Amino acid sequence: MSAFSSTDAETGAIGPFHDALHARYVVELGHRLDSPTSYEGAVTEHLRMSGVYWSLGALSLLRDADEVDASMGLRGGVDGGGEENGGGGRRMRRAIVDWVFDCRDPRSGGFGGNCSGAAFGVGTPGTATTTPCPHHGHLLYTLSALQILAMANALDDERLDKDAVARFVSGLQNPDGSFCGDEWGEVDTRFTYCALSCLALLGRLPIPRNDGEEEDDAIVDVRGAARYVMSCRNFDGGFGCVPGAESHAGQVFCCIGALSIAHSLHLLNEGRDGCDADLLAWWLAERQCDSGGLNGRPEKQADVCYSWWILSALSIVGRVSWINTSRLGQFILNCQDDEDGGIADRPQDMPDVYHTFFGLCGLSLIGHLEKIGNREGRTYREVDPVFALPTDVVRRLGLRAQVISYSNGDVEDRLKMHSILDGTKASLK
Amino acid sequence: MDFADLNDVEPIPQDDGPEPVCSIAYSPEFIKAYDYLRALLKADERSERALNLTTFCLKLNPANYTVWHFRRRCLISLSAETDQTPAIDVERIEKDLDFADKLGGTNPKNYQLWYHRRALLEFRFKEEGDILQVAKKELEYVDKILDDDSKNYHAWSHRQWIIKTLNKTELWSSEINYSHSKVLSDPRNNSAWNQRWFALHEGKISSVYSNDRSAVLSLEKAKEEASYALYGADLDPFNESPWRYLVGILMEQWRSAKRGRDADDIAKVTGLIQENIGKIREMKKSWEEKRPNDHSSGSSASLLSALVDLLEIFTDAKESLTEAKALLGKLMLEDPVRRKYWLKREKHITKLLVSIEQKENNAV
Repeated sequence: MSAFSSTDAETGAIGPFHDALHARYVVELGHRLDSPTSYEGAVTEHLRMSGVYWSLGALSLLRDADEVDASMGLRGGVDGGGEENGGGGRRMRRAIVDWVFDCRDPRSGGFGGNCSGAAFGVGTPGTATTTPCPHHGHLLYTLSALQILAMANALDDERLDKDAVARFVSGLQNPDGSFCGDEWGEVDTRFTYCALSCLALLGRLPIPRNDGEEEDDAIVDVRGAARYVMSCRNFDGGFGCVPGAESHAGQVFCCIGALSIAHSLHLLNEGRDGCDADLLAWWLAERQCDSGGLNGRPEKQADVCYSWWILSALSIVGRVSWINTSRLGQFILNCQDDEDGGIADRPQDMPDVYHTFFGLCGLSLIGHLEKIGNREGRTYREVDPVFALPTDVVRRLGLRAQVISYSNGDVEDRLKMHSILDGTKASLK
Repeated sequence: MDFADLNDVEPIPQDDGPEPVCSIAYSPEFIKAYDYLRALLKADERSERALNLTTFCLKLNPANYTVWHFRRRCLISLSAETDQTPAIDVERIEKDLDFADKLGGTNPKNYQLWYHRRALLEFRFKEEGDILQVAKKELEYVDKILDDDSKNYHAWSHRQWIIKTLNKTELWSSEINYSHSKVLSDPRNNSAWNQRWFALHEGKISSVYSNDRSAVLSLEKAKEEASYALYGADLDPFNESPWRYLVGILMEQWRSAKRGRDADDIAKVTGLIQENIGKIREMKKSWEEKRPNDHSSGSSASLLSALVDLLEIFTDAKESLTEAKALLGKLMLEDPVRRKYWLKREKHITKLLVSIEQKENNAV
């Protein structure tokens, strides 16, 4: 039981936030990974696509779209640093969008985690020295690629063969509604989220009709996908990666996000065992530790990344208030590196871009970024809890998912673009 | 590795711009190996030397999914073809399982290693021989990993996959014992509690099919499982896992009885729930007596919450609801982190109590 009194919990002022350090940390990360002497760069080579998405996502919550484009080199080349490597002069880094298209795997139609070796996009613009040799297409990186293109406003680029990508995604669905991550056939609810989010970004998602009629020509079976997700729900209200697997907060996000995109959140209150949105949200609320941070499973350590996985799911089901947001906010701020910028998994650890992005997302979802912005005369962009993109991007693309309102029927401002399921009826209790 | 057998291959360097890659101080071997690999990947050369090169590259970086993928393609191409369906020779499978084991060490967090085992076993299970024995050997391997990291999510998922794939009563039953041994060594291991639920329900050993074709435990089995959960909770009432298990078991019975609408069934399940409510009250009392001076730790949120969940089932019983309301008041004070959640539940119960009173007044 907590040693804190309830009054402490309510009055905590928001501590220092190192805006400029975080922005610099993200921008310089690209140069560091590109450095040929970087071990971190070499071993994360195969998932560079996600790394770039986390970097862009993080910077996008701190800066407006033009600034992000200019400092990251989204659509045009950018100075890639290089003096510290002792080479002859500074290098130009190719535009991120061009690099993304090089990572397309022509064989599968999806995107791989990187192309032509270790570095992402280093080289003189327009003079790539080798033919792109992408990793094989995988749903995880295909989603990251599309998210990057969405932030770069490049989903209508003529190099994006939307039909081919959509075929890649639909080809990975199994008869039971689940999705594989790639041709090797591993099944996981993470891939259901990736698949539905990809199709939504491509504008190819068939939304199930309310009249119960099945669409014959739909490229994926959205109802089947939602049914499969529901078959992964456990007795404690949480979700696992496959039926029977232990509840895990990361999987909960994927499952709730998938149901949200599939406009199927009502299923939470129907199923065989009657576990409802309240039971799920309580399981998520129980993940808050005495440190204020959130863990992913019972008796595990708190970690900043769960600020995203748990808060996004709680936002979608309208129950963020069930946890103590000021204590969580303080936990995230305690994980900042106050010298070099970036956010770590827990206080005193080394920061990385994954935790930096999801830490900022957490601060956004509990309204802390907005309060910090008011205090410091800045306007921060907000993150959308379903698509993990800035809300202005989601609005520009007209993406529409489903969320549950609070128990009084109200809904957070940032979610008003989505379809609202009446939360006053969403509870069975 | 001296790369001698690759001297006819033109390596593809990483696209690093003007600076020569060879000047790298860190690990020239790392770069060289991956340069050769890119060349073989591009040529799609699935040979013995390509397989050896993947071995070397994976030792340098076991998380690279494309290398694993290419390795399996090599293994398939190098194996004898059977009826044009892809297969891998049994001997190669055994060798590669061993390779993955050594690469992972005692704590393989890396997902690719698990997936590789599974892909190999999928081929192995299709081959001749004592498959049950192969499965048991693999379960022993997983046990070794869980000895070191008892909550390894990949390891537990891998166990579930093996048992489900073979679907043998023997494996299902022994998994219940296995989960019990893990609960004994650490009652707070939620993965072990989940495994118990998994084996009992998915194995269909003690469950019956309810009218919507989902597996529900028999009443008798549910009674045993509720006792098991309370036994676990008694070891440590602050442990979330057994309480969730208990409520899960009892709610499953309640929902199933309500769906079936059989008055006799509903009465039996009501009896079971009341019996457990009684036991929890006793446990709460004895715990409070043990710790009389430390009022904040006199109750566990998990215990109180489970009690509220069960009391609240009886939506028209005034005494039950009044007790639940008082418990929620206590939770709001003692678990401030989730105060708004408890407040919401208290409001709901107050509403139910008001409507009961209105009904009583109308009756008068």
